[in-house]
Amino acid sequence: MSTRPPTLREKRRYLLAKIEPCGVPVDGKDLYYAIHEAATSLWGDVVVAAMQPAVITIEDGYAILRCRRGTERECAISLSTITGCRDNRIALRIIAASGTIDSLRDRIKDLGPYVMENGEVTSTETRDSSGSPSTDSRDCIFDTRLYRIVHSDGHKVDVIEKGFKNTHRLFLTTADLEEK
Amino acid sequence: MKITDACVYPYPHGNSSVRRLALEARLLGYDSIVAMDTPACETEGVTVLSGLIIAGMPVKDVTNQIKRGKGQGVVVSVQARDNGFNRAVCGSKGVHILRDVACADKYAFDHVAAKIAADNGTAVDLDLSPIISQRGHAREKVIHRYFDILVLHNRFEFPLTISSGARSVLDMRPVREVSGLCSLLGMDIPDAEDALAGVGKILAPKETAVKVLS
Repeated sequence: MSTRPPTLREKRRYLLAKIEPCGVPVDGKDLYYAIHEAATSLWGDVVVAAMQPAVITIEDGYAILRCRRGTERECAISLSTITGCRDNRIALRIIAASGTIDSLRDRIKDLGPYVMENGEVTSTETRDSSGSPSTDSRDCIFDTRLYRIVHSDGHKVDVIEKGFKNTHRLFLTTADLEEK
Repeated sequence: MKITDACVYPYPHGNSSVRRLALEARLLGYDSIVAMDTPACETEGVTVLSGLIIAGMPVKDVTNQIKRGKGQGVVVSVQARDNGFNRAVCGSKGVHILRDVACADKYAFDHVAAKIAADNGTAVDLDLSPIISQRGHAREKVIHRYFDILVLHNRFEFPLTISSGARSVLDMRPVREVSGLCSLLGMDIPDAEDALAGVGKILAPKETAVKVLS
C-alpha cells in the first residue's frame, strides 16, 4: 500500500504537557487510556473520533500528545479533567502546542528535565531556588511529624510521612519547613 | 481586576500548605486565593484572603456567626440549602458568596433568590471541581445547574465567582484552562474573566446611590 502524499495527510498538532507531581511513574498506555476516558466522557465518541488523541512519548516528566489540527481546544479541556492515571493522582499542565514534535523537544530542553526521584531517597536530587542541585537533609519535621523529602525544586518541597502507614504526599514550601 | 480562586482548602483540610497553594496559584496565573480557615496574608506574591464556610446551620445561626466575625475581613461563604434558606441568606448582610448551589435541590436557587442576590451583591459560586473530577450523570447534573444559574445571571446580573475547591496543588487549574472549562457552560472569555474577578468586586466598597460632592 502506498503512503499518502503530504497534501492528502490529515494535519496534526502536538501538545506538550508537564506531568505533576514530579516523579510519579506514568506509563504511556495508561496515560492514553486516562486521556481517552476523560475525553470520551466529556465530549462523546464522535468528537473523540475527530480529535484522535494519542500519546507520542513521555520523557523527563513531560508528555507529548497528539491530536487533529483544529481540535486543540477540546483536547486541552479534556486534559484538564484528568485527575489520575491508574492509581496515581496526577495533573497535566499544558505548556505548548506545536505542529512538530521536534519543536516541543526543543522546548523540553529549554525548560530543563524534571528531577525524578525513582522512589528512593538516595536517588532524589534536589534543587535550590537558583536551580542548581542542593544537598539538604533528607528528613524534615512538619506539624510535629517526621517527613521524608521526596522532591524539591526551588521553593517547592514534596514530602511523605516516614513510616509505612501514610504514604500520601504533602506539598509544602521551604518556608513551611523552616517555620514548623 | 484581581483574578481570584474563590475557594481552596490548605493543610490540614488538604495536602498542600497555604504557601504552596499560593506559589502554585501564582504560576497558574492567579493574583489571589481565598483559603478556608487560614489567616489573611500576602505570600509568594499572591494575596491570600481568609475564607469561612458556613454549612448545615439554620439562618438564625448563620446570622449570629456572621455578626461575630464582622469586620475581620473574612470572605464568608454559605452552603446553599433549600429555597427559603437561600433567599434568606442572599438577603443577609455579611454573606459574600452562596456556594454549592449545584448540590442543593433543583429549585433551590430561583429567580427570586437571584433578584435578592443581585440587590444585595451576594455572589453565587461556580465550583469547577465536580466538572473536573466527576463523570457521567453527576457531571451532567452539575453542568445543567450551572446553565440554570447563568440564565439567571444574565437576567439579574448578580455577581459570580469561580472556585477550584482545591485540596491539593494537583486540583488547581491554570486560568486559561478555567476559561476553557467555563466555555463548557456557555461562558465566553470576558464572562469567565468577570467571574474570576468576582471576589474582588464583592469585597470592594459599594458605591452609594447618591454622592455628596460638596
